[in-house]
Amino acid sequence: MTITYVLMQNLKRNPLRAALTATAFSLPMAVFVAAISLVVLLANVAASAAKELRLGVHQKTSLTNLLPEGMRRKIEALDPQKEHLHAVCGMRWFGGRVPDTQNTLTSLAADADTFPIVYSDVQMTEEETARWLSEKTACVVGFATAEQYGWKPGDRLTLESTVPPYLTLEFKIVKVMQNAERSSVFYFRRDYLEDSLKAAGFDDPRCNIFWIKCKTAEGLRTLQQRIDAAFANSPEETKSEDENAFAANFTQAAGNLPGLMQAMAVVVVFIIALVAGNTMMMSFRERIRELAVFKAIGFQSSRIFAIVLAESTMLALIGALAGVIPASLFLLLVPIRNLRMGPISSFEVSPLAIVVSIAIALLVGLVAGLWPAYQAHRLRTVDALRKVA
Amino acid sequence: MSTAEIELRNVRKVYYKERLEIPVLEGLDLDVATGDFVVLMGPSGSGKSTLLHLIGGLDTPTSGAVRVGDANLERMNERQLTAWRSRNVGFIFQMYHLVPVLTAAQNVELPLLLFRMSSAERRQRVITALNVVGLADRMDHRPNQLSGGQEQRVAIARAIVTDPRLILADEPTGDLDAKTSEEILGLLNVLNTEFEKTIIMVTHDPRAAAHGKRRLHLDKGALYSDERATVRAVAAASS
Repeated sequence: MTITYVLMQNLKRNPLRAALTATAFSLPMAVFVAAISLVVLLANVAASAAKELRLGVHQKTSLTNLLPEGMRRKIEALDPQKEHLHAVCGMRWFGGRVPDTQNTLTSLAADADTFPIVYSDVQMTEEETARWLSEKTACVVGFATAEQYGWKPGDRLTLESTVPPYLTLEFKIVKVMQNAERSSVFYFRRDYLEDSLKAAGFDDPRCNIFWIKCKTAEGLRTLQQRIDAAFANSPEETKSEDENAFAANFTQAAGNLPGLMQAMAVVVVFIIALVAGNTMMMSFRERIRELAVFKAIGFQSSRIFAIVLAESTMLALIGALAGVIPASLFLLLVPIRNLRMGPISSFEVSPLAIVVSIAIALLVGLVAGLWPAYQAHRLRTVDALRKVA
Repeated sequence: MSTAEIELRNVRKVYYKERLEIPVLEGLDLDVATGDFVVLMGPSGSGKSTLLHLIGGLDTPTSGAVRVGDANLERMNERQLTAWRSRNVGFIFQMYHLVPVLTAAQNVELPLLLFRMSSAERRQRVITALNVVGLADRMDHRPNQLSGGQEQRVAIARAIVTDPRLILADEPTGDLDAKTSEEILGLLNVLNTEFEKTIIMVTHDPRAAAHGKRRLHLDKGALYSDERATVRAVAAASS
């Protein structure tokens, strides 16, 4: 028999109470695993985006206001020696959906010549690039969307636009993108869209945004200032943002979600600490004479302190594992990528999230056990025994 | 220096309750010889349990000296007293105080967790202690599967498993019926006569007191009678 065995047996003393307290740990820890994994994913996406050094230029007031196609030449002219600028790729929202379905795909028409350069992280091979450049109906599609519809390179497909003039276009897949941040995005050639619009009587070669691939981070900042200054006080006043800031605009549109999550997490952790602390205090009070006997037979006060604290921590650990393991299995098995929620489609349970969740539970267990452990430490054996008589 | 195993000199113990001084023991002197079986009697509040706690190193005197063997308890700090108790004293309480989630054998094994010894040696000691109290066949039973008398036997096995020289029993039969009390007291007599343990027992029960070799009566913190039982009476009580 070991002290650890005694601790484990102690947890069985009041199984219902122990189970309820463990559940108070398990449920928030299950949510934490998912939430922290999401934060890790978004941080990775942000780091990846920052590495790509892309600058997005759109109309200052709204992304839905179109900019003239000629702006690409004007932007290129701001850095004729290509000191900072690598390439410019104009894009236009298509908003296509597979016929007879409701979900609109993130589908964008991109300049054919510069797309493989500006989006070099898509990692198109020479053969794929050649097909993209030679076939007007070529498209590249994210892996989550491809999986959802069972598409593979070489497949032909049709999309109906959800924006006027509601074109229906046919495409041929030349690449399935494996990037997490582009898992549910669909790109095709803008010249194909322009020709189709012209054929439908809408000669409108404008863009929603121009993505600029920069050579250095410093160059990105220089170009950002230079572009916005060049178009200031013009009908096409621009707002230039790096890719992270651009993505953050969408996130912040729904309010300060990370801040809200953080505040909720703190409240939840505090509540668990109170629940666990109350349980440990009740357990201590019930065993006050038993602990006094432990002291009488030779257990040092420091050891009693450690026993009570270890019991609290062990309860927290069991609760955390009971939440983290099923949550991780659930998140592994559930087809999250089918949700097609941008980068979330590539959601994976982060080992860091598991470690952090368990660490939080252990910390809360320790904090919750501190006061009862201190009370047990300072317990006067004779006083506790006298209560028996 | 006295040859007594236990020696108390001019011991005074005072408790404080809301700044009010409550004297419990007043200038008490006592010698207990090795192998003696001393019974402490007296009305409630007379200081019996306090005296027992002082001898067992659970408490320290306000003034005076308490020596047990070579140890001067009044000079020890709490840590030293705790370590000393684990080696030298076995406690038996009225309400047994066994850990309900552990078996009889595991309860007896608890004090041995404080010593460096192999699990085989621990096991052997536990079996020996349970054999002495006649409960070897109940070693895997939990306290709620044992009678009151059996629980107290387990508590006695726990008290002797470390082979202490001194056993302190605070009302060990206070919660038991007459027949079971006799069995427990007989067991204490065996520990005293056959295993040469020095025993000090607190009791209110004159029948239980008859099992001791020496009876001390306390009242208002002072020792007012000290009777040595006849050999015949002790022998009768032991049988």
